[in-house]
Amino acid sequence: MKILVCGKRVPMTGGRIVLTEDEQAIETRHLGFTISPHEECGVEEAVRLVEQHGGESVVLTLGPPEAEEQLRDQMALGVDRAIHLVTGGEEWDPQATAAAIVDAIRADEAASGPFDLVVFGNESADSGGYQVGIRVAHALGRPAVTGLKGVAVEDGRVRCEQEVAGGRDVYVVPLPAVVTVKEGLNLPRYPSVPGRMRAKQKPVAATTPDRPQARLRLVRLAVPAGQGKQAEVLGRGPEAAPAVVEVLRGIGVVA
Amino acid sequence: MILVLVEHEGGATTELTSQALAFGRSLAGDEPVDCVACIAPSQEIATDELGPGTLHLAEHDAYASLAPDAVAATVAGVVERTGARAVVAPGSDTGNDVLARVAARLDQPLASNCVAATAGEPARVTRTRWGGSLLEEAELDGAPLLLTVQPHAVAADVAGAPVAGVERFTPVLADADLAVRVADRVEAAGSGIALADANVVVSGGRGVGSTEGFAIIEELAGLLGAAVGCSRAVTMAGWRPHTDQVGQTGTKIAPELYIPCGISGATQHMAGCKGAKRILAIVDDAEAPILAGADYAVIGDLHEIVPAISAELRKARGS
Amino acid sequence: MRLGKPVERFGDVPVRVRNEAVIVLGQRKLLQRLVPGLVHAAIFWGFLVLFPTILLALAGVVDREPWLPHGSPLDWLASQGWFALLVDVFAVLVLAGVASALWIRKVQRPRRFEGSHLGEADLILGLIAGIVTTLLLWHATRIALGVNEWPASWSPVSNALSNLFGDGTATEVLERVFVWAHVLLILGFLVYLPHSKHLHIATAAINVFFGRTRARGRLEPLRFDDVPESELRFGAGTVSDLTWKEMVDTFSCTECGRCQDVCPAYATGKELSPKLLIMGLRDQLLAEGPKLLAARRGGEAYEPPPLVPGAVSDDVVWDCVTCGACIHECPVSIEHVDHIVDLRRHLVMVESRFPAEAEPMLRDVERSANPWGKPQAERAAWAEAVGVRVLEPDDPPPALLYWVGCAASFDERARRTAEATATLLRTAGVDFAILGPRESCTGDPARRMGNEYLFQEHARQNVETLNGAGVTRVVANCPHCFNTLANEYPDFGGSYEVVHHTELLAELVRDGRLSPAAAETPVTYHDSCYLARHNDVIASPRELVATVGRPVEMPRHGKRTFCCGAGGARMWMEERGSPINEERVREAAETGAGTLAVACPFCTVMLDDGVRQGGHDLRVADVAVLMAEALEPPGSE
Repeated sequence: MKILVCGKRVPMTGGRIVLTEDEQAIETRHLGFTISPHEECGVEEAVRLVEQHGGESVVLTLGPPEAEEQLRDQMALGVDRAIHLVTGGEEWDPQATAAAIVDAIRADEAASGPFDLVVFGNESADSGGYQVGIRVAHALGRPAVTGLKGVAVEDGRVRCEQEVAGGRDVYVVPLPAVVTVKEGLNLPRYPSVPGRMRAKQKPVAATTPDRPQARLRLVRLAVPAGQGKQAEVLGRGPEAAPAVVEVLRGIGVVA
Repeated sequence: MILVLVEHEGGATTELTSQALAFGRSLAGDEPVDCVACIAPSQEIATDELGPGTLHLAEHDAYASLAPDAVAATVAGVVERTGARAVVAPGSDTGNDVLARVAARLDQPLASNCVAATAGEPARVTRTRWGGSLLEEAELDGAPLLLTVQPHAVAADVAGAPVAGVERFTPVLADADLAVRVADRVEAAGSGIALADANVVVSGGRGVGSTEGFAIIEELAGLLGAAVGCSRAVTMAGWRPHTDQVGQTGTKIAPELYIPCGISGATQHMAGCKGAKRILAIVDDAEAPILAGADYAVIGDLHEIVPAISAELRKARGS
Repeated sequence: MRLGKPVERFGDVPVRVRNEAVIVLGQRKLLQRLVPGLVHAAIFWGFLVLFPTILLALAGVVDREPWLPHGSPLDWLASQGWFALLVDVFAVLVLAGVASALWIRKVQRPRRFEGSHLGEADLILGLIAGIVTTLLLWHATRIALGVNEWPASWSPVSNALSNLFGDGTATEVLERVFVWAHVLLILGFLVYLPHSKHLHIATAAINVFFGRTRARGRLEPLRFDDVPESELRFGAGTVSDLTWKEMVDTFSCTECGRCQDVCPAYATGKELSPKLLIMGLRDQLLAEGPKLLAARRGGEAYEPPPLVPGAVSDDVVWDCVTCGACIHECPVSIEHVDHIVDLRRHLVMVESRFPAEAEPMLRDVERSANPWGKPQAERAAWAEAVGVRVLEPDDPPPALLYWVGCAASFDERARRTAEATATLLRTAGVDFAILGPRESCTGDPARRMGNEYLFQEHARQNVETLNGAGVTRVVANCPHCFNTLANEYPDFGGSYEVVHHTELLAELVRDGRLSPAAAETPVTYHDSCYLARHNDVIASPRELVATVGRPVEMPRHGKRTFCCGAGGARMWMEERGSPINEERVREAAETGAGTLAVACPFCTVMLDDGVRQGGHDLRVADVAVLMAEALEPPGSE
């Protein structure tokens, strides 16, 4: 089978986020980069499915030239080749992102046959839009199942497991299909050094799509008030219990 | 008109739906706020709090098996029929999923996990990024505006009213809209809540003192539907298994709320809980490093504080 | 050994000759344990002295009147009274040695012999005793017969024994019997030797000669550039991946168990014994070597079975703290840690197989430049409060660069060391700067974990930063950073004068630039393995301890210190069995000291945890912290 996994280069913020002075982006000067954790699981799943059923796995990203680093990281895990939609580093909104990916998928499928499965993370770690995979599936006329913690391919169909309260809902849809997965789907392997070295030789097809007018436009970013401060002391000893329950209610963990 | 997507469980609307309704009402100003809900013919839904607008109530067998494309088609149909200016959905997994499908069908932008929105040309929204660690102000061109609401970011509006009317209809669904639906249900094995996935985690550290000492931690966790975790000192002492360890060399957690009890906050531990959205620390040392990473704290003996919180929770539940 | 992979061990010949003299002839490492050392030295030196008598006996076998070219050195030696005396004295010493060795083995039965081939050793000791006894008896019969070449009065033992014999035919026959027995025993010994661990008589001298001459804390780098696909294997996966030195190591092992005796992992009930590790590798090498050679001759491909879990288990490989106590004790210069790291290198880099809990550390070092995934931008957060200068990219080269390290930058407990060090340096008027967010993990935990690839990425990047900043002199808090910067970065083009903070602070105290208020409270100092054993920094921290309290030593200190349990990336792994840190803290508590001084951020965290776990009344603090506290308050002059 032929599987595509789409991922997004995101910084490792390590908890506390610092913004650039123009408040347009995260200050990434001293940060490392990765792809979103959901997507890492997607890559692992694709590699496992190809190990199991044979075929080819491909990774795709839409991002700046530096995102090739993430493509190589994913290929180090056993992915065969990569598609890089190179941007100038500016933010693409979900609609534009989906459109560019759809074009890339169509081009690749015209050249080397259809993808049986296209895998996305349920949502990206940074912008968390919850929609690119669904938009791509809609444009391609393929079924989309989201938020998966279990994926198995059998007889031209994909069995999908979605975690819900008290158990898992199972969906079975025909291939070709689009799935979006969640961290916990599997335990991604640690890249071997031979894998990393082979990844340096694997092909990356780079194109530079045009960025359409964004319809969801970032104006500015802000760090929510109260971050990075010392803890608010609710009280000393058991007398603090009512205040604690009040906080629990506010957070929504107690009805 | 602003349309709010209603999610329901056992006939009652969900807490997140109430939040979405409140959000929709504040966005609407003087405009009417209608609701749309999808139920299977065997289901009913309480309508006392969904008003004062109209409830567009779709009935179809497909909804018994979720069928998100069928729900999306229904919502898109109501939008076309009513000319709704905006659609607001709860920021639950299914709410985000369904509204993304609506957005794809209508080829409109979608702003997910919003905490605030102002109508206009363009509309302004404030939405969360990085799971709530960052806020984004954005402009949104949409007709209709499609928004999902960040959970627990806005107060649920309790001042709902009975609906003005219920428009029942049976949607006409294409085969493609029924391709994705729940085929089976697998019950979770065991009753324990997995640490890595838990929404709330209560952990005990060296301060708990013994294996038996964890009884009060387990009691509190039980009341909160939380998973029980512990620090490395506890697993080293053999009080709990290594699978319970939160930390660099244990499980990395990312709950909405983390309650470490009697944990000083060693680097090894903090590396495991840095994904937690909020931390409420119960610790006897007012200088403990955990306080630098926590949002809330109670200072004192956990052996007194934890049972007191449990008692308070029981009291709140009883009333 | 023909199968061994190359490793550079041919340079530094003068040092190698010196090692040979001190360690082999001088038996220095054996004498680290006095009694067993003396026992071995007696036997060893005895055999050196008795060597000519073997030749004399070989000649004596042919004829009672030994055929020796007249005037030859041997002929001359045989007639010398002083040599006869030496022979007698050393023969007795050897016998005493054998007797003591048997007493140690049979009566004392130290734990270090657990797992050794004891029967083999008994046989060898028997042979040695037989050889020396027959020699004495041979000499005695010769005296009795009056055919001795040397003055009988010079050989008291043989002379005394000669009284047992008459001068008749019986003695003539016995003289023949003893010399033949003597020679046959020697030949038997020589035949048995290659099949037993006593091959060390030959290999040990070779192994000591080829032992490491460069810094002990340094690991051999691997090459990753332009590796062809067929050679994409790293570390030791099978016996065919071992270097020739590693092979000689395995053949040199005498199974004496000194390594096992000092191993912190073994001492706390873990599976690892350095001795059994080497024996396991040797057994697999002996089993697979011939097959590999045959395959190579036949031009066939033969893939030997994996070393892990074939020769040793996974747990054995991960139990090691790389403290180097085994290497320090080993009388024949076996380098156990290199074996462990090579096994780890294969497991981590080729098989991605290692304790799962260590994976976050590797990923965080790779992506976040520190082992806890802390935001790199906050690396210098501690320094803001203290007012330390952060070196910006275009600043002039600093006189002294303070390399803070990840632990002292991010860990709450270790951070106090950084604050104290900075305060002390400033008080002494030392001009220094830190790299702040441009400093990244040295790569040490990744390297000790076996991920050489990741280590080298960090080494190159840090060397680039340091060279770019024009750094020439570095002070480091962390012995692991210190070791890597001083001993390992030169392999990657980074050569600096690197000192540990205790060395620099001791210098400042000596120069009178720091004068902490002395107290009489007892303080015990825990030597960090990477400071004391790997890098010989022993005196400086003690000088500092003496300025703030009354030093009391733990039994295991200096180069024979006992690990805290964090080394070799164990800081990021879960410990099985009883914890090493608690064992060490017990030892510290027994000194009666109220303060346990340390000079390593990881020792700080490990031992402090040990104190809490054990409920001891002991304060763990870095020497720098103790000094900063003891400084006279500013303005009191």
